[in-house]
Amino acid sequence: MGKVHIEIDGQKLEAEVGSMIIEVADKADIYIPRFCYHKKLSVAANCRMCMVDVANLPKAVPACATPVAEGMVIDTRSQKAINAQKAVMEFLLINHPLDCPVCDQGGECELQDLSVGYGDDVSRFTEGKRVVKDKDIGPLIATDMTRCIHCTRCVRFGQEIVGIREFGATGRGEHMEIGTYIEETVESEVSANIIDLCPVGALTAKPSQFKARAWELRQAPSIAAHDCLGSNIFVHHRRGEIIRVVPRENESINEVWLSDRDRFSYQGLTEGARLLNPRIKRNGEWEDCDWQTALNLVASEMKRIIGASNGNDFGILMGNNATTEESYLAQRMLRKAGSNNIDFRTRRRDYTGDGRGSVRSGMNFPMENLDTMDATLLIGADLRHEQPLTALRVRKSTGYGKAMAINPFDGEYNFRLSNELQPKSNMLAQEFACVLAAADALRPESLNAEAKEWLDGIEFNDEHKEIAQNLIDGEASCILMGVYVQEHPQAETINWLAETLASVTDSDWGYMTQGCNAAGNKIAGAVPCQSAAGGKSEQGKTAKEMLTEGLKGYMLVNCEPDVESIWAEQALQNLKDAEFVVALTSFADGRVPDYANVMLPIAGCYETSGTYINVEGKWQSFAAAVKAPGEARPGWKVLRVLANLLDLSGFEYESSLQVINELREKFDAVGDVRVARKVPPPMMVVNEQETNRECLGLYMVDPLVRRAGALQKTPKASTHPISISRVKTR
Amino acid sequence: MKQFKQFINSFLLIELLKGMKVTFANMFRKKITVQYPEEKTPQSPRFRGLHALRTYPNGEERCIACKLCEAVCPAAAITIEAGPREDDGTRRTTKYEIDLFKCIFCGFCEESCPVDSIVETRVFDYHFEERGLHIMTKDMLLEMGRIHEDQIAADREADAKYR
Repeated sequence: MGKVHIEIDGQKLEAEVGSMIIEVADKADIYIPRFCYHKKLSVAANCRMCMVDVANLPKAVPACATPVAEGMVIDTRSQKAINAQKAVMEFLLINHPLDCPVCDQGGECELQDLSVGYGDDVSRFTEGKRVVKDKDIGPLIATDMTRCIHCTRCVRFGQEIVGIREFGATGRGEHMEIGTYIEETVESEVSANIIDLCPVGALTAKPSQFKARAWELRQAPSIAAHDCLGSNIFVHHRRGEIIRVVPRENESINEVWLSDRDRFSYQGLTEGARLLNPRIKRNGEWEDCDWQTALNLVASEMKRIIGASNGNDFGILMGNNATTEESYLAQRMLRKAGSNNIDFRTRRRDYTGDGRGSVRSGMNFPMENLDTMDATLLIGADLRHEQPLTALRVRKSTGYGKAMAINPFDGEYNFRLSNELQPKSNMLAQEFACVLAAADALRPESLNAEAKEWLDGIEFNDEHKEIAQNLIDGEASCILMGVYVQEHPQAETINWLAETLASVTDSDWGYMTQGCNAAGNKIAGAVPCQSAAGGKSEQGKTAKEMLTEGLKGYMLVNCEPDVESIWAEQALQNLKDAEFVVALTSFADGRVPDYANVMLPIAGCYETSGTYINVEGKWQSFAAAVKAPGEARPGWKVLRVLANLLDLSGFEYESSLQVINELREKFDAVGDVRVARKVPPPMMVVNEQETNRECLGLYMVDPLVRRAGALQKTPKASTHPISISRVKTR
Repeated sequence: MKQFKQFINSFLLIELLKGMKVTFANMFRKKITVQYPEEKTPQSPRFRGLHALRTYPNGEERCIACKLCEAVCPAAAITIEAGPREDDGTRRTTKYEIDLFKCIFCGFCEESCPVDSIVETRVFDYHFEERGLHIMTKDMLLEMGRIHEDQIAADREADAKYR
């Protein structure tokens, strides 16, 4: 790219050829007013607010749609520019209602702000203002379409970023209306981003409607806790109550977007029945008690069960949004107390990979690279419903690259697939193996003898060959496995196939994980096969064994196995039959009170400090945004005191930072070691029954989301995205 | 000579009579004493006394929970919580409280109100008998509005041309 030299407001700047004036000005911190321009969307140039004065041009020109040229002299504050901007503002205000006092956008409204600078105090317009009927577009977004100024950001977002046209403009001129055209709810999983995009109050958040003013809110940076991306967010709160969650820009993770799940899950904190005091069940009745009594009871029961069974009959299950600190303390406490039964993978069937693979779990390449892949192969991945924002990235790459999928279900995609295979769910590994066989035929020199022997006799057809060819041809290509693969009985085989196929085709590979902190939990050692930072450990019981075979004692940390686990019914029975169940939980509803003996109130999301490690291995620490209600305490504090009461040494932490620093030191000393698999795993024959289980729905993934009212009212909540009905059983 | 004059003056009680002249003059002048509480001093239409929340003639409360009064209050005496009203979903306050111990009666709330809802009435004589009563709740404020609506409306009318 060549460079041109321009001058804006007397500042000499160097700009890339083809960039627009507004981009160059933004980079140089020169503010040009705008409504329709957004850096992530295409240029529409329909609001005309960004008029600037370019020397030697007769009229003012829109900065968002005028490419820079060598020697251009631009004045954004000249009388000509300001007159143009003022005229545009007068037009915009013709039909805009003056209802700022009742508008939720009031105080953070782009139109309000700019009308202070460019608006007249008196309107010359005496005719009637137009009124547009409001649309009911679902439980997440409130509309007031009379306020709309037709910037079409929301329309372009649906069209360009999500790939689902939910909004459109009908009519022209004064009769133009933004809407869904037919009565329909907006139901994409990232729909609420249009709230941020809307420069006026036409689209606002329904769950926080009328609750607070922008100037009352305090802002705390945090990390979203419902998928493995670790999207960066701001938590906005007022008088100790979370009012809303908005995205915090991070180009390498969530860009400027946020999924609806991350945005509205906070509601669960107030809508779920919160547990405010430690509770003990005595003769079938729950009684509130103080922390000391409850913790002493837990410690003595833990000692008794672990002592009596040599550590075999007590186990800890970590929940999907446990922080790394909680996992680290829980496993350290348990291992020191003499047991290795700790796990967080309540949805995994295949544990043969334990002890191999990487210290952490997840992707082996930066998420950003998904944007620019020439070929992306998805295996058992329903990205839209698992990690909605990765689907947007893959969609970006399909502008020039190819996306392919081997999914044993009718996936919903917001991008075009060049190749799609739909094997039966129990034949996923077999189908995938055909692709590897095809790749082997195309590049015969790259596989070792053992792998070749493994592939012997596997036949492939043209489609498999095409997929392999696409991966080989792509300069940048990747194989991405979804959460479904990790739940598959042949997870390890599929992982090996992906890794091998990646090496044959020179691709990147990785897998998405359940929950927000699978990588963190694994590094922390909350798995039966390894202690913190991949340290040695005797093999303990896996989540499957704990839940299906039954234990005498359980500790559940923010975990509801009766809903989350694959073996929900068995789990519920075993938990009911157990002698002693202690639940560290934020909520007093659900089925936990049925089977627990002691409930300890712990702080929920945004109420505790901690660290999440995302699927790429980024460590992201955050502080508590608000205080936990009642007697609830952060989970790491509870576990730390419990360890003290168990008379274990080395638990003198005073902050969560000390805990994570200790783990970080251990992890940095060894690094992310990969233990490669030498022998290919056997290809098992799996019975179809075993694979045809429901995945956790989009809004079912963790206790908080399950209690978030608005999300549960959306159409997507009532159906499991990959439910048994959608899994192909040919 | 000077001493002699002084002697005569004091002997004839001249100074005293001068003083008595003032006293007598005032004895027959019109009294300015106001027999509070039976009588009250006149008040300006702009008088800033106890607060009230007004309603429209049809009984609908005026306040739309824009929270400008809360934002402008220099003493942070106003606390508002808002949300959609249950029956029709319009924007209303769920809590509107003024702490009279904090309030400095500056009248900014009244000035900032876009719908003339929060106003200060002419009521200035009040007392609290119990701790906690110094916080005027939304119900108390609306009641104040109902009682004094005629006066409030007349005052706004009188002041309208200056606003």
